[in-house]
Parts: sequence; structure tokens; C-alpha cells
Amino acid sequence: MTRAVGPDVLVRCDGVARTFGAGLGAVVALHDISCAIHAGQHLAITGPSGSGKSTLLHLLAGLDEPTAGVVTWPALGAKGDLRPGPVGVVFQGPSLLPPLDVTENVALALLLGGASEADADAAAAAALTRLHLSALATKLPEELSGGQAQRVAVARVLAGRPRLILADEPTGQLDHAAAAVIVDALVETASHLGAALVVTTHDPLVAARLTTRWTMADGALVEADLPIEGNPSCSA
Amino acid sequence: MLSLTWLRGLAARRRGRLAAAACGVAIAVALLASIGAFLSASKATMTARAAADVAVDWQVQTQTGADAGAVLDAVEHAPGVTIAAPVGFAATTGLQTTVNGSTQSTGPGVVVGLPPGYRSAFPGELRDLAGSGTGVLLAQQTAANLHAAPGDTVTVGRAGLDPVALRVDGVVDLPQADSLFQTVGAPVGAQPQAPPDNVLLVPGDQWHQLFDPLAQTRPELVHTQIHARLTHHLPTDPSAAYAEVSGRARNLEVRLAGTGLVGDNLAATLGAARSDALYAQILFLFLGLPGAVLAGLLTAAVAGAGAERRRKEQALLRARGATNRQLVRLGMIEAAAVGIAGAAAGLGLALALGRAAFGTFGFGATPVAAIGWAAGSAAAGLVIAAATIAIPAWRDARRVTVAAGRRPIGRAGTPRWARYGLDLVLLGAGGLVFWLTGRGGYKLVLAPEGVPTISVSYWAFAGPALLWTGAGLFVWRIADLVLGRGRPLIGRLIRPVSGRLSGTVAASMSRQRRLLARALVLVALTVAFAASTAVFDATYQQQAQVDARLTNGADVTVTESPGSTIGAAGATELSHIPGVKSVEPIQHRFAYVGADLQDLYGVRPGTITDATKLQDAYFQGGTARQLMATLASAPDSVLVSAETAKDFRLNPGDQVMLRLQDGRTKQLTNVAFHYAGIAKEFPTAPHDSFLIANADSVTKMTGSDAVGAFLIDTGGNSPAAVAGRVRAAVGAQAQVTDLTTSRRVVGSSLTAVDLAGLTRVELGFALVLAAASTGLVLALGLAERRRSFAIISALGAKARQLGGFVWAEALFVTIGGLAAGAGGGWALSHMLVKVLTGVFDPPPASLAIPWSYLAIVGAVAVAAVSAAAGGAIRATQRPVVAVVRDL
Repeated sequence: MTRAVGPDVLVRCDGVARTFGAGLGAVVALHDISCAIHAGQHLAITGPSGSGKSTLLHLLAGLDEPTAGVVTWPALGAKGDLRPGPVGVVFQGPSLLPPLDVTENVALALLLGGASEADADAAAAAALTRLHLSALATKLPEELSGGQAQRVAVARVLAGRPRLILADEPTGQLDHAAAAVIVDALVETASHLGAALVVTTHDPLVAARLTTRWTMADGALVEADLPIEGNPSCSA
Repeated sequence: MLSLTWLRGLAARRRGRLAAAACGVAIAVALLASIGAFLSASKATMTARAAADVAVDWQVQTQTGADAGAVLDAVEHAPGVTIAAPVGFAATTGLQTTVNGSTQSTGPGVVVGLPPGYRSAFPGELRDLAGSGTGVLLAQQTAANLHAAPGDTVTVGRAGLDPVALRVDGVVDLPQADSLFQTVGAPVGAQPQAPPDNVLLVPGDQWHQLFDPLAQTRPELVHTQIHARLTHHLPTDPSAAYAEVSGRARNLEVRLAGTGLVGDNLAATLGAARSDALYAQILFLFLGLPGAVLAGLLTAAVAGAGAERRRKEQALLRARGATNRQLVRLGMIEAAAVGIAGAAAGLGLALALGRAAFGTFGFGATPVAAIGWAAGSAAAGLVIAAATIAIPAWRDARRVTVAAGRRPIGRAGTPRWARYGLDLVLLGAGGLVFWLTGRGGYKLVLAPEGVPTISVSYWAFAGPALLWTGAGLFVWRIADLVLGRGRPLIGRLIRPVSGRLSGTVAASMSRQRRLLARALVLVALTVAFAASTAVFDATYQQQAQVDARLTNGADVTVTESPGSTIGAAGATELSHIPGVKSVEPIQHRFAYVGADLQDLYGVRPGTITDATKLQDAYFQGGTARQLMATLASAPDSVLVSAETAKDFRLNPGDQVMLRLQDGRTKQLTNVAFHYAGIAKEFPTAPHDSFLIANADSVTKMTGSDAVGAFLIDTGGNSPAAVAGRVRAAVGAQAQVTDLTTSRRVVGSSLTAVDLAGLTRVELGFALVLAAASTGLVLALGLAERRRSFAIISALGAKARQLGGFVWAEALFVTIGGLAAGAGGGWALSHMLVKVLTGVFDPPPASLAIPWSYLAIVGAVAVAAVSAAAGGAIRATQRPVVAVVRDL
């Protein structure tokens, strides 16, 4: 397991566990997880359904609280400053706001961060252009395909210029072709920003696009820091 | 099997949504059933009150040559008759008295012969004012004309016979003189305009001694009536009671075979009560139905808040092979569950309310009525559930594709009704119908005397109904317009709550404008309903107070006995009684206008309003203030009735010669006044013709300042308590009445339809609807968008920023709804009061605005919205992942 401590550690988990419910009905989703995410790392967290991938990602994003252990963000700041800001999240399901068009959805995170409307709109337009989504700028989410909606979600992350991108099964509801486009977009975005990218997936083809893979089973990290074959830029 | 599984799933996972929809149905059912209980209770009250107010139920007049004994026997044996007594009526050529050397004479009059026991059998016919209640009695006005008092001697003229002298034992009032001296058998238009001015009542034996000889020579001047009292165990519905009593009267007339005609006072009174019953029914339509419709709309809004989810569920089911029929069946099951639960809860609530507000345990005075109202209300609840849940589900199942089912927003186009301007058409049509029906004076209920059938002008309902519907759609159009084209404006307006997100929030609101416009319309209609009901009720109460004040004169009124010579100085003694704020003397005389004897009231125009209130509606030709100023500046001015002004073709400034009794000589003397205006109503004055003049002028011209009554203002102290103290101070020499008691006993269509219980229920429901239409609908709408808020939260929104989204919507719906509702309520109130003018007596000069209740409605709406918005914001404080997982 990784025990790295240094200026390039973005997130660190120490003995983290997460249990849902209590008593006899309690479900242990994670137990005794210790790991770190480094700057610029492109990481795939794989494992079967129910292995705890999404739960770990939510903890890394500060969206959830561990029931034991500690999650810290040494290079990113306090938990309350993560979003909007240094952490961008792409969700598994539809995550665009139905009453806002594509541009407004992309600009929203920036506005929440305190940007002016003009700046937010300009950043949104630039992000959409970079991901070749300008034609969809005035569309409503209900008028987009699943793949288009996820690309817009990636554009929303891009516009926020985060240092850590966390994507929770971003291709889970897409076919292979659409999934490839999304992963391309994520990798390109992370590379463009110089950000770390963490993607949870059970799709080996998606995992193969990233440089490092962690494998989870029954709420525990069973293999970590495995360089993925064929990727020359893997790092521990 | 699928149905049961679905139902179990709904019960387990969608309890809140089902319960909210069932609440809407329950409100509608409870409102309808409660109003049914009101109608039933009020109708029963009306019959009982109407029957109790009749002094003599039947006056059977024996025809010339008929055997009075045989007629009496027939009446006694008629079904339902409990008491029958023969009463003699004889015409006198005139009455005369000599008091203190002064002789007073009257014109022709009537001498009534009362059999022994008459007063105990018919206690409402006579009221003692002075002297003994038995023996020879003078009617009050006659005693005043003759200046006679108990102990004086009155000479009774008999046509062709010697006059006879009788010693007066007492002075009485004849409260029901109009019916006592009616022309039995004559149609309404042929009845005398007023009872005779000169009336003497003598014991039956004495009457026979005096007038049997006259009957021999001038039989046309003497006749006998059989007065009868019937059992008052009558059907509770005034119409049914009327039909039964008038049927008995016709049956008696047939059996009398021309020897007697029945003057059916009981049926006449019940006939008037039929109108009141119909007015109660009309009030149900005007005040109750809108509430039920609103509850239906509320249910629709609640069901609509879950429509997006239902469409998604339908799309999922369809994707898994469910047929349209199965989808419709599932919708019907949900509607049935909501309808049955809501109906049961509503009936239970109505039972509790009926007990609390009307004192009844059932929904009707009879088992049939109870079953009818309960079943009807429950059926209405089921219809609402079907219309708001099953039909939309059926429509979606037929029309919505799987893809479209997943689309929650859609590009909002203009609805067809808006394209064709249906709202404007409805508003125009409502105004036109209102104007057309208003031309006829809004006679909603036509109950011709003696005719068994009565009719209601239901056409008049179309005006308010069209206005209500049109206004609702128009508000929708405006809200849609503001949210659509006025998006930049909305952005600027919500900046204080949404900050830099205002443009985004405005965009979100604009795309959800149908949802928001619907919520705003619901709030507006609820507020309009609450406001118009409250204003109508307050105006009704105000006019009931005015009616009682008109009858009683002031908070407390001290009426002097006939012949009293107490002057205006008597006010000083009364003013020292604790609780008395001010005392105003008012003179009461009788004056001849031509041959017509009328009441004349001498008032002090500068101070009359210190003790009583004068409304502009009482007068014509000027406001109350202007006409009192005229009486003050031109003391020989006189205000007359509209009838007198018309009969004598009077124009302002015309001389009116009155014959008044001179206080010194006791002789009638001509006094010249000048016509200054019309008095339609005046405190203590009768409803028919009367005159108002300056008291100083009357004193100067008649040489007497004798006061008829003292009007007392209690300055907010309890009139009944002050009246008790005044009564103790003045003793038996004057009659003391108070406003509170008068309000209970004033008999008119206004008080017969006792609105108190209905309005308590209505106003209570209006508050519940206001809370539900604002808080519940907003809360459900926000709850359905939990995922959106969770996403915003996941993007890093602070509570304040999330609040910007929630509060902007809440404020738009609440402020817009309250403003539109206030406008609609204002228009509806005016229309309601105008259309329902028949229940007001007298018609209101202005609307009474119950500010405190309206403030409560506003506060409830704001509190409900705050609770809903606060709850929605608190819900986002949960870990975002937990919220997203739940969806």
C-alpha cells in the first residue's frame, strides 16, 4: 500500500472505513483503507460491483464522511474548500441540471466559486470549444444523448480547472464507442490541466487508458500502484 | 398481482406523496360535507325560527251569513290545529277622549273583540306597554293620537248607533298588526298598505254587547275571524314545511265550502323562509364550491408535483413490456387509494367540524339528507382523485413515449387556450354576464307569495364563476410572460437573494415557468377565495350590526311610554349612569301627510351621530352628513320617504304641510316644512313611511319638547350590561332595549341565514388551503427536485447559494400569488356582495375589510413557504451522496 507523504500528495487516506447502517443490518462498504493520490497521477480503480469503488471515490472527493480513519487533502486545502475549486467530480448518472442549458450548466460551478457571470460564461464557452461541444451550447440536458451529457459534465470539470478530477463510473451507462470518447475527454482534460485523474470503473478497456490501477474487492484495496501494461508513463 | 405489488410499493416508498394527495381530497370532501351539515342545520333552524315568529298561524275569516260557530268547529277539527278562538272585528266611526278638558278625536278605526284566554293562546300578538294587560286596551299609536292613558275614558262611535264610553285599562303594542288586520283572501297587491291607525281591543263578551246590534243593521262592518295555532312539528326543510302547511289550509278551505277563507300566516312566513333556505343554498354555491374546486386544484398540484416521477416510472415499466392497459390500471389503483383514504379522512373531519361549528353529528337533518351529503361528498373526492391522478396517468400512457417520459422540462410553448385568448374571453364574458344580471337588481331567489314553486336565478352564478376561471388563467398568462420574456427583470429582482447566481436562477425559473406559474395561480386563487369569503363575511356581520342598530337605534335605547312628557333634559340623568358615554334624545310624534299618518322623528342634527351611526345608504339626495347639515342650517327642512316624495311629486325646496299635535292645545295644527331629501332608513324608525325633522324646530312649532326615546352610546361597554343599569334606574316608566338582544331577535332574511357556522368553517378551510397551496405545493415541488439540489451541492454550493435557488422561487410564487390574490379577492368581494345583495338588509354602503384575518392568511402563507423552503435547504445539508443514493 502507498504510504507516501510529500508535497505532491493530493489526497491521503489513513485507516479509512465506511459502514452504512447500524446493528445487524450494517453494511461495511470500506475497511482499513490507507492510500494516497499524487499530483498528475492517472489512476483507475477497478473491481466488481459492490467492492467499494464509488464509496472510496466519494470519500476522496469529500462528498462523504468516513466512519473510521482520516481523509486529508495535504496539497489541496481544507475539506470545505475542495468544491468548487481544486476537486472536480464527474458522476455516474445524469448530473446536469435539467432547467439549465449546456452553457449554464458548465458555468454554474464557476459561479458557485465566486466568478463573475462574464468570466464564467467565457470559461464555459472555452471548455465547450475544447471538447468540441459548442454546437450543444444552448441545448437542454433532456435534448442530449447520454454520451453528450457526460461530455458536458467533463467540460464542467474542465472549466473549473481543478487539480484533481474524480470520475465515478463515467461510462457505466454508455456503449464502448461513447465510453471511449468520454475517457479521451477525461484524459485530455487532465493532461491539459496537469491534474490528477481518478476513474472508478469495472470496464478493463477504460482502465487500460490510464497509467495506474488499483483493484478493490470486498471493501479493501487488494492491489495498488500496478502500472498498466502498454502505458509507458506509469508511476507509483 | 402486478397491481398489488405496485400498491405495496407505493405504500412503502411514496407514502408522503400519497398522503399529500389524500389530504387534498380530504379537504375537498370535508368542505363539501361540512357545508352540507351547515345547510341541513340552517334549514332546520329557519323552519323552527319562522314558525316560532308567527303569532297566529291561521286567521280564518267567516263569510257574510256563515255560522261562525260551525266555522270554529271545522277549524278546531282540522288536522294539526291545537288551539282555535273566535275574534271579532268591528268598524268604528271614530274614537274620542277628553283629557284635562281637551277633547281629541280620531278618524274611523277598528274595535277588536278578544275571547277569554286569547293572550295566553297567542302571546305574540299583543305586548303590554302601560296599565293592565286585560280589559279595554288601546293600541300605542291610538293612545298617542288620543293623548289617552290608562284610566281615561274613550268614546267609541258606532255607525247608526249611539256611541259608547269605555274606561281604558291599558296601552298595548301590536307587533304583528300587518297580519292581524290583513284582508283575508286578498292577493298581495290588494292588501292594505298599513294597518289601521286607530285600534281598540275589548273583551269578547263586551265586544258582542257593543257590536252584535251593529251586525244586525250593518253586517258589512262586522265580521268574525277564527284564530288558530297549529302544531309546529313540521318538516325541517322550509319548502316542505310550507307545502305541508299550505296544503292543510287549502284542505280546510275545501271543507269550509265557502263559509270561510284562510289567512295562512304560517305558510306566508315559511314562504319567506324558503327564500332564506335558497339563499343558504346559493351561499353554498358561491362560498363552498370555490373552496372544493380549490381543494381539487390543490390535489392536482400535489399529484402534478409527482407527475415527472410517474412518467419516468411509466417509461421504465413500458420499457420492460408493460401495456397501456396495465399502466392505466396502475394509475387507477393509485387514484382509488388516494380517493378512498381522502374521502374517509374528509368525512371524519367534517363530522368533527359539524359538531364543533353547527352542533350536529350528522351531515343532514334527515337520514336521507345525511346519506346524500356523505355519499355526494365522498363521490366528489373520488372524482377529484380520478381527475388528478388516474386521468393524467391514462393520458400519459396513451401519448407519452419512453423518451418523452424521461424529459422533465421540455421547451415550454404557449398553451392552446392562451393562444386563443380564452382567459380574456372568460373575463369579458364574466363581466358581461355580471352586467346583464345586474340590470335586474340581482333577484336571485324568486319566491312568489302563495305559489308553491320557487326559483333561483342560477344564471347569476355564471358571472363570478367566469371571472374566477378567467382570472386564474390570466394570472397564469402574466406569470408565464414575466418568467419567460421578463427573465432579465426576474434576474435583477432576485439578486438580493441569489447574488451572482441570479442570472442562472432566473434561467432555471424561466424554464420551469409552467410549474411556477401553476403554483402562483394556486396561491392567488386561494388568497382570492380567502379574501372574498372573509370580506363577504365581515360585510355580512357589519350589516347585521347595522340592521340591529337600525332596529334598536343605538347601543341602548330608552323608549318613553306613550303620553310621556319627559324632555331633552332627561338625557342628563341618564348620562350619569356608569357605562353611558353619551345620550341623544330623539323625538317621536305622529304627523299627517295629507290623509296618511306617519311617524315623525325630531333629531338634533349636530349631535345625533354622537349616539348612533348614520350611513349614507340610509339617505337619498345627499350624504348623511350633508342632509344633517341641511337640517341644522334650515330648521324647517324635512326628510321624507321615497314613497312620499313620489306620491306627492316633491322636489327639493317644495313646501310640505304636516298636521302635528300641538303640545299645549292637544289639537292638530298645520306646520309648514320644506322637502330636503329622502330618508330610506333611520334608527328606531319603521321600514315604511316616516319623516325626519329638526328637533328644535318641532319643539318650537308644537310647544313640546317631549322625547320619544333616548339613544345611548356605551362607548364600547357591553350594551346588555349598561341596559341593565339603565333599566334599574328608569324603572317601569320606559322600555329599555339593547343592541345585543336586538341582534338576536331581529327577524329578516339576513339573520335567518345564520352564516356564523358556515364562515367559521369557510375561513378555517381557507387558512388550511392557503397553507397547503403555498407550503405543501412548494415543498413537494422542491422535494421532487432533490436530485438537482444534491447536484448543486455536490458541485460545491454553500447553503446560502442553494437558498438562492429555493428562496427565489418561493418568493416569486408567494409575493406574486399574494398580490394577484389580493387583486382577485378585491374584485370577487365586490362581485359577491353585489350579486348576493339579497342576503344583506340593508344593502352595505361599503365593504368591511377584516384586516386581522387577512393578515393571518398572509402570515400563514409566509410561514408555510418559509417552512417549506427551510425544509428543502435543510434537506440538502445531508451528505450529498446519501441524497443521490436515495433518488
